[in-house]
Amino acid sequence: MGLDGIIILDNNGRPIIQSGFRSSTTVYPLLHIDAVNNALEKAERPADVDPVLYIPNTTDVSSACCHVQAGDLRFLCPVSGDVDPLLAFAFLQTFIDILREYLGTVSAATLRDNFDIVYQLFEETLDVGGHPLTTYPNALRDIVIPPSLMNKLLSVTGTNFNSTINSGFGAGAAAGPFSSPIPWRKTGVRYNNNEIYFDIVEHLKAIVNKNGVTLSSNVHGKIEANAKLSGTPDCSLSFTNPQVLYDCALHPCIRLLRWNRDKVLSFVPPDGRFTLMDYTYSSQSPNSPLPTSPNVALPFVIKPNIELEDSGGSFDVTLTSRYSTHALENVVAELHLGQGAGGIRCSVSRGSGGGGFINAAESRNSGSSGGSNRASWSFDAQRMILRWEIQIVPPSSSWSLHGSFVTANRAPRPSHAIRVCFDISSHTYSALKVGQLKVTNAKENYKPYKGVRGRSSGEVEWRW
Amino acid sequence: MSQQGQDAKFFQRGKIEEFRAELHAAETKDKKFVKRKTVLKKIVANITMGTDMSPLFPDVVQCLGTPLLEIKKMVYLFLVSYGRSKPDQIHLVIPNFLQDCNDRNPLIRALAIRTMSYIPIPVVTEALSDNLRHALKDRDPYVRKTAAICVAKLYSADPRKAERGGFVELLRDLMLDSNATVVANAVAALSEIGDRQDGVIFKLNLATANKLLAAIPESSEWGQIYILDSLLRYVPEKHADAEIMAERIIVQLQHGNSAVILTTIKALLYLMNYMENRQLIDYICKKMGPPLVTLLSSGPEVQYVALRNILLIIQRRPTVLKNDVRVFFCKYNDPIYIKLAKLEIMYRLARAENAKEVLAELQEYASEVDLDFVRKAVRSIGRLAIKVEAAADDCIQALLDLIDTKVTYVVQEAVIVIKDIFRRYPGKYEGIIPNLCENLDALDEPEAKASMIWILGQYANIIDNADELLDDLCYTFLEESTEVQLALLTAAVKLFVYKSKADKAKELVHKVLKWATEEADNPDLRDRGFMYWRMLAINPTVAGEIVLSEKPPITTDSDRMDRGALDQLLLHTGTLGSIYHKNPETFIRNAAGKALKDSPALNAHSRAVLIPLARTQLPPMAPIVVPGPGPTEPQAQSSPVAPLPPSKSDNADLLAPQVQPQSGPTSQDPDDTLHDQYEADDDEPPPTRQASDLDPYSNLGNAFGNYLADEPQPMTSRRHADEDELLF
Repeated sequence: MGLDGIIILDNNGRPIIQSGFRSSTTVYPLLHIDAVNNALEKAERPADVDPVLYIPNTTDVSSACCHVQAGDLRFLCPVSGDVDPLLAFAFLQTFIDILREYLGTVSAATLRDNFDIVYQLFEETLDVGGHPLTTYPNALRDIVIPPSLMNKLLSVTGTNFNSTINSGFGAGAAAGPFSSPIPWRKTGVRYNNNEIYFDIVEHLKAIVNKNGVTLSSNVHGKIEANAKLSGTPDCSLSFTNPQVLYDCALHPCIRLLRWNRDKVLSFVPPDGRFTLMDYTYSSQSPNSPLPTSPNVALPFVIKPNIELEDSGGSFDVTLTSRYSTHALENVVAELHLGQGAGGIRCSVSRGSGGGGFINAAESRNSGSSGGSNRASWSFDAQRMILRWEIQIVPPSSSWSLHGSFVTANRAPRPSHAIRVCFDISSHTYSALKVGQLKVTNAKENYKPYKGVRGRSSGEVEWRW
Repeated sequence: MSQQGQDAKFFQRGKIEEFRAELHAAETKDKKFVKRKTVLKKIVANITMGTDMSPLFPDVVQCLGTPLLEIKKMVYLFLVSYGRSKPDQIHLVIPNFLQDCNDRNPLIRALAIRTMSYIPIPVVTEALSDNLRHALKDRDPYVRKTAAICVAKLYSADPRKAERGGFVELLRDLMLDSNATVVANAVAALSEIGDRQDGVIFKLNLATANKLLAAIPESSEWGQIYILDSLLRYVPEKHADAEIMAERIIVQLQHGNSAVILTTIKALLYLMNYMENRQLIDYICKKMGPPLVTLLSSGPEVQYVALRNILLIIQRRPTVLKNDVRVFFCKYNDPIYIKLAKLEIMYRLARAENAKEVLAELQEYASEVDLDFVRKAVRSIGRLAIKVEAAADDCIQALLDLIDTKVTYVVQEAVIVIKDIFRRYPGKYEGIIPNLCENLDALDEPEAKASMIWILGQYANIIDNADELLDDLCYTFLEESTEVQLALLTAAVKLFVYKSKADKAKELVHKVLKWATEEADNPDLRDRGFMYWRMLAINPTVAGEIVLSEKPPITTDSDRMDRGALDQLLLHTGTLGSIYHKNPETFIRNAAGKALKDSPALNAHSRAVLIPLARTQLPPMAPIVVPGPGPTEPQAQSSPVAPLPPSKSDNADLLAPQVQPQSGPTSQDPDDTLHDQYEADDDEPPPTRQASDLDPYSNLGNAFGNYLADEPQPMTSRRHADEDELLF
C-alpha cells in the first residue's frame, strides 16, 4: 500500500520533474510516461483517457498509472502494489494544493523556477516506500521554507536565520516542528487584525429531459473558510437551519461528537484557507433516502426548438430566468453540433422581462462571434461546439438564440442536449444561514471580524 | 545567490569537471555558503534530468559538514540517489551520519536516519541499526514517526536481521505511542512488512485494534487510511466485536478525504461479514450510500474509482443505493470511461419499479454520437429486457424504433440482442422477424450477421422466404469470417430439417456442406460440416431432433460474480483490484492476496463460499506474530499466482474453457432467482458449488464491463461460444 512516486509532465508530455523512484528500475517511470503519452495521443479527447491506466510490462509484472491534469501540467502517480487509486488521487490533489500554496500558480514555468522547493516537498510529503507523510501546510512550512517574498529579502541581506541550524526555527516555531499538539495548526500564530471568513459555495448539477421534466438534480455545497486568528482560537459555528445539510464531510478539525449531537461545528481552525465542510443539500427530512429526486427548482427554463434536416438544421432556443430577485451571471450555453458542422448563421437577442432591450447584431461564418457586449455567440470549430454567452441574465428576463447550421456529410448528428453553466452571487440554493459564530480564546482577548458570504453556480444538461 | 525565477538555467546540462572545480572554489571565501548552495542546486537539477552525477560523489560529500540545513538536504538527496552505487566510498559518510543522528535538531536526526535507511549497503545498515533503535524511542515525535517507516526499509534490506534485532517488537510498541502520527506510521510499516512474501504475519487482536481506533481522530488523513486499512487484519471472534467496531468507525464516513471514505467502506464491508444483527447491517448499508454518491461530485478520476467500486458493492449488498439509479444517469459530456461505468451500474440497479426510467435513459443514449457508448446502450436495452420481464415489451418496442433509424451500427447491435431476447422469451416476440429481415443488407459485422443467420435458421419454419434469404447470404460464404460460416452451416441444416421436401433447401444444404467440408480451411468448420453430413445421412429425423432440440433458458445470471469471489474482491475495495475486478495478486507485482478468515463469528453463508488463499511452502521459520495476547494462527502467507494480465479484450477469455459456477437449482424463471438471490444475502442456505471452486475467477474476465463479455449465456456450462447449436 504505497505510491511509487510522482512524475510531472508539461503539456508536451515531457517530464519536468519526478520524485525518487528509488525502489524501482530507471525504466519504470519512463514506461509510465510513455504509456500515458501514447494513450493521450490515441484518445479523441484527452479527457477520455482512462484515469487509472493499466501498464502491461513485458519483463516484469504489470502496474498501473493514475494521472490527473492540472493547468498545463499532468501529474502521474504510478502504483504497483495493491494500492488504493483514490489514495493516489487524493494525494495528487493534496500535492497540487500544496504547490499552489507555495508557488502561487502551478505551471511548467513556476515548477522549473522552484524545482528545489518541489524536490524538498517530494521528500517531505512522500516517503520512499510510498507513504504520504506531512501534508498539512502549517506543518510543512516549518520544514520546507516557502519561497515567499520575505525569504527572498532575508536571503539577499544574508540573514537567513530561518534555516541556519544553530538559531532554531525562527520566531514562530521556537519549539521545533511538530511540537504543536494540534497537527493542523502551529503554535504562536499572530495577526494584527483578527478575521475569519466563511464562503458558502453551492453547485447545482441537473439533467432535464426533453419534456422539461427534471430527471435528477443535486446540490453539492462546501463551506470554505479563511482564518486569520491569533493564538489557538476555538470556534463554534451554528446554523439556523442545519436540517438542509445532508451527508456532510467534515474537516478533521471539527469535533464529530459535537456535530452529531448538537449540529454545531466546533473546531480549532487551521491557519489560513481550508475547506471546513462539504455537504449535499436536501430539502427533505434527514431520514428520507437520498435527495436525488428533483427537489431544487432550476433557476431558468429553456425552450429548445431545434429542427434537423438532411444536411443541416435550424435552432431557436429561448432561455428565461425563473428567479425574481437574483440575476444569473456568466451564463454559457453549449450545443455540440456534431462532426462536419459549419456555416453557422446566428443571432442572439433579448426578449421581454427585466427591463431594457438589447438587440444583438447578426453575424455569420464559423469562428467569428457576434452579438452585443452582454450576449454573444461563438463557434468552436475544433470541438464543434456552439457557445452562447450571456453575461448577466436579470431576474425574469428572457433571451433567445436563433440560427442555422449546415453539415458536410448528409445527416447532422448534434448532441441532443444543451449544457448550461452559470453563476449566481450572494445566493445559495439551500438558504443555509449561519446563526452564530463564537470565537473563544483562553489566553488572548480579541474580537475578530467575522464575515459570511454565499455564492452559487450550476451546470444543467437540458435535453431536447 | 541566484535570483528567484532564474533557477531554470540550472537545467542546462553542466559538465562534471566544471561542477567539481566550482565546488573546490567554493571552499574558500564562501560567505553564507552561497556559492556551495548554487553549485549543489545545479547538481541536483542535473540529477533531476537524469544526468549521471555520481562521479562527484567524493566532492559533494565534502559539503556534508556545512552547518546549513538547506545544503545538508541537498547532499543527502545526492546520497540517496547515488549512495547505493558507491559501496566502496560510502564509508566516508558514515561518521557524518552518526554525528547527525545525534544532532540536537530533530529534523536533522530524522533526515540522517531516513537517508541511511534508503541506502541498503551492509556498512550503512550496520551503522543504522543502533541509531534506529534509539530513534524509535526518541523524545521527538517527528523522529519517531520517521524511524517507524525506516524499520520497513531495514526489513526489506534484510528481514531476518531486522527480526533478530527486535525491530518488529519495537514497532509493535510504537502502536501504543501517545502521538497519533507515530501510531499511524507504525501501522503503515507493519502493514508493509506483513504484505511481504517473507515477512512476519501482522495480525491485530481486539485490544490493539481498539487502541488504534482511539488514535484515529488525531491522525492525519493518511494515518487514518493506514489504521482503517489495518482493521482488515483483525478477525472478530464474536458478532458483537465486529458490530461495536463498525459503530465506532462509521463516523469516518463523514470525512472530507475520498480515500478515507472508501477505506472506511472497505472496513465496514469486511466487518459486516462477521455480523449477525440484521438491523445494524441494514443501517450500515443505508449509511454507505450517500458518501458514495458524494464521491461522484468530485473530479472524473475519483468518480471513476468510485463507480467501479459501487459496481462491486451493489452486487454484494444490493440495498446500498437501491433507490438511487438516477444518480448514475450519464451526461453527454462525461468522459467515456465514466459513461460506461455508469451504464453498467444503471443496468445492475434496474428493477421492475424503475425499468421505465432506465429504459428512457438508455434510449436517450442510443441517439448519442459516441459509437462505443451507443452500442453499449443498445445492448443494455436488450439486457434489460432479459433481466426485467415486466419491461420486455417496452424494450422490444425501443429496439424496433432503433432499427427504424437505419443507423447501421445501431441496427447491428439491436439484432444481436434481439436474438437473445428470442431465446429468453420463446414464442413471444417472433412476430417482429419481418422487421429484422428488412435490414438484412445493413449487417456487415460478423457478430450481427451471425445473429441474424441464427434467427433465420431457427425460425425458418415461420419465415416464408428463409430459403431465399439464406441463399443470398451464402453467395459470399467463402469470404465470410468463421463465425458467420458456422452460423450459415447450422442455419442451412435447420432449414433443411424444417423443409426437407423443398428442392431449394436441399440444394442449399448440399452446397454449404460441400463448401464446408471441401473448400474451407478452418478445421472447426470442416468437422462440423462432416458431422452434420453424417447425421443427415444416417438418420435425418434424429438429426432434426438434435439440431432443433430445446434450448436451455437464457439468463443474465452469468455476468453476476460468484459470491465467494465477490467477498474476496471486496477486501480490496478501493484498490486496483476493485478497478479491474480481478484479485490484485494475479496481475500486479508486489500485491498480496487477501481472503476472508474464518472465525466463529463469520456468517454461515460467507463461510460456505470461503476461498482459501493459495499457499506456498515457505522455508521453515518460527512465525513471529506481532500483537501479544491475541490468538495466533498458522502461517497464512500468499503466493503470487502465475501472472495473468487483465485482458482488456476479452477474446482470450472467450476462447479459454470456462466453467460457470452454477449456483442453486435451475429455476423455471431464472430472472427472479438471480435477482433475489443476494437480496437476502446472509440468510440463504449456501448454494452448492462445483468444480469452479478451483478457480473462482475463471469467469471474472467474462463477467465484467467488457464489450463482448456481457452477452447473456445459457445457464449450463458451455465450453465454446460457437458450439451451442452442435451440442444441444
